[in-house]
Amino acid sequence: MSRLQETDLRIFVDAVRRYFEASSRIAPEITSAFLGTGDVPEHEFNGVVALSGRYHGQVTVSLPQRPLCELLLLQRETNLSESNLLDAVGEIANTLAGNARQSLGDELEISVPTTRRGRLGSPPHTRHLPYVITLRWNTYPGLVCVDVEKKG
Amino acid sequence: MKLLAVDDSNIVRSRIARLAQGGPLGPVQIVGLARNGVEALRVARAAQPDVVTMDLTMPEMDGLACIPELLRIVPRASVLVISALSDKSTAIRALKLGARGFLPKPFTDEQLQLALLSLVDRKGHRA
Repeated sequence: MSRLQETDLRIFVDAVRRYFEASSRIAPEITSAFLGTGDVPEHEFNGVVALSGRYHGQVTVSLPQRPLCELLLLQRETNLSESNLLDAVGEIANTLAGNARQSLGDELEISVPTTRRGRLGSPPHTRHLPYVITLRWNTYPGLVCVDVEKKG
Repeated sequence: MKLLAVDDSNIVRSRIARLAQGGPLGPVQIVGLARNGVEALRVARAAQPDVVTMDLTMPEMDGLACIPELLRIVPRASVLVISALSDKSTAIRALKLGARGFLPKPFTDEQLQLALLSLVDRKGHRA
């Protein structure tokens, strides 16, 4: 396995910024990016996209309930049911992973998102230490975990 | 103009429908909201849409598999691909399969309305 480079991870940071700016006109602040040791912190709503092809691993987006509600309201979506909040966090994960193909190439295959309310627990990591990007959007915290390795 | 929105995300389907109806396109009738390619083909057969917005990554039948099937059913339909798979080779593949436009996710309200407007102006679908 070869390691994902820092420049590759920049792709995900840029994708996070682009997602929130385009969807809400409110730019997120990237508050930190670090190698996750031990349990990666999680929020209430989680969306996971599995990666395959030339890469393998997963991208996880984790957000509390409030920012997801506000994001939907800003898009004039008034149905704030649990299923729509899960849909929203899954769509963010799908968009971040899909956008990464611009730089990582079309041999990066992405799954449809899986979503969950509540802690995911600690699935086995693909990388020894996954990359964690924390953000603050519209005063609320959020987190993206990039646990991806390049094959070969 | 009759529009079918195809996306496995409920919130994206609803947003597309809202923006299409509230934008500069003139009267828009939403004839269906489909969660995957299989549902899209079923709705297209019955409703004969003028414009179809098509996601690519979906369960059961993805957008790239659906586009040629859909155009066999409704040859005059204009397909706008709206996808997070925003690399150039995916866009070219979609266009070669018959899509008439490609809008990468994430998109702003204005970007979606402009993409739809450009599509219907080219095809003369506007009422």
